[in-house]
Amino acid sequence: MTHVVTEACIRCKYTDCVDVCPVDCFREGPNFLTIDPDECIDCAVCIPECPVSAIYAEEDLPKDQLHMTQLNADLAQLPGWKSITKRKAPLPDADDWKDRTGKLPELLR
Amino acid sequence: MVNDGPIEADAVVIGAGPVGLFQVFELGLLEIKCHVIDALPFPGGQPAELYPDKPIYDIPAIPVCTGQELVNNLLKQIEPFGATFHLGQEVNAVEQQGDGRFFVSTSRGTRFLTKTLFIAAGVGAFQPRALKLDGIEAFDEKHLFYRVSSSDAWAGRNIVIVGGGDTALEWAATLSTQGPTKAARVTLIHRRDAFQAAPANVARMRDLCERNELRFMVGQPTGFESEGDRLTGLQVTDPQAQTHSVPLDVLLVFLGLSPKLGPIAQWGLDIERKQLVVDTEKFSTSVPGIFAVGDINTYPGKKKLILSGFHEATLAAFGAAPIVFPDKKVMLQYTTTSTQLHRVLGVAPAALD
Repeated sequence: MTHVVTEACIRCKYTDCVDVCPVDCFREGPNFLTIDPDECIDCAVCIPECPVSAIYAEEDLPKDQLHMTQLNADLAQLPGWKSITKRKAPLPDADDWKDRTGKLPELLR
Repeated sequence: MVNDGPIEADAVVIGAGPVGLFQVFELGLLEIKCHVIDALPFPGGQPAELYPDKPIYDIPAIPVCTGQELVNNLLKQIEPFGATFHLGQEVNAVEQQGDGRFFVSTSRGTRFLTKTLFIAAGVGAFQPRALKLDGIEAFDEKHLFYRVSSSDAWAGRNIVIVGGGDTALEWAATLSTQGPTKAARVTLIHRRDAFQAAPANVARMRDLCERNELRFMVGQPTGFESEGDRLTGLQVTDPQAQTHSVPLDVLLVFLGLSPKLGPIAQWGLDIERKQLVVDTEKFSTSVPGIFAVGDINTYPGKKKLILSGFHEATLAAFGAAPIVFPDKKVMLQYTTTSTQLHRVLGVAPAALD
């Protein structure tokens, strides 16, 4: 099992989660954070930190987000996606995007 | 205190969360006395630190209790066993000795020689969340503090406090209230004008602001200023994206705590995905005598539930008994009927009808 970042993070990237991860398993892309499933220990500490509730235990994923498990794993392997361990400012228009759905086409690799 | 050598122990438990506390109980029934170490200054682990007021619904026979109630009940349950707590310190070394015992030392210099070790460290040791400004760590413990033990040192100084929880508000109030600890000037900075704190603390803070004893700013720290080896100011960006310079002598940061899995990888134990591999008979790690229970262990079918940790702690205690008492045959006994268990629990035997 692992924890999974869902589409809600796309174009927001608040990064509150990375501060609390005890094993530093978040990886950062241009407009999305992903969890490396080989590092995540399923502690669930990050779940309540996300201001847009983007993080779920794999077993709790909403039905329309099941594809994100594989996508998290794939993105975590991309060479450009580096470990992020310090919180930083969200994307400038994060607040405009936080309530939108269907953001997958916006994902930048 | 004169301390000639390490504390000699039968069992040391690392972690005072619910599973570590229940480990004390199960070891206690087998008449094994414990020392318990935790990084937090109070027992309770994740339920006490992360969700003290949240209800838990899956503790057997307790339909609902809060995190703190669970901890309080466990502390009451282990009272008869007189465990010694060593709080506010992290374990930084574990080394097996020639005689098979384990040498354990902590960040405060407490040292143990123990026959058995129980790692109930959850997802790691809780540590203060640091201010994320590159380079500011150079001022740690000089002008920048994440923990405060005494307020005397800062009377008459210019203090900036970052945070919006009870600790931040309590120190803002203490240092800005008339008296021997009053600072020259206190500025409280929080990212928004709302607080995750007790209403009384918020009211006190608002009152001090109205009387100009305390200054409150909404904003995020985005930079700092220094002169030589002195931290002299914090740059704070407000919601309108204006950056202000706030001069200071001392910076206190209270952004809460988060767990960090520490140096367990260096203790020579088998690890899988940063968790300790155990068997499911004794919950022993790859080193006999070291057991791992609760969120920190992994085995086929592992579920990170408090109730699973209670089961793990029970079998680990039975697994440890032959190491602690090699010549004693350990029997399973029931607390309902065993006069021996009644004696160790300090309860009167049930009256015969």
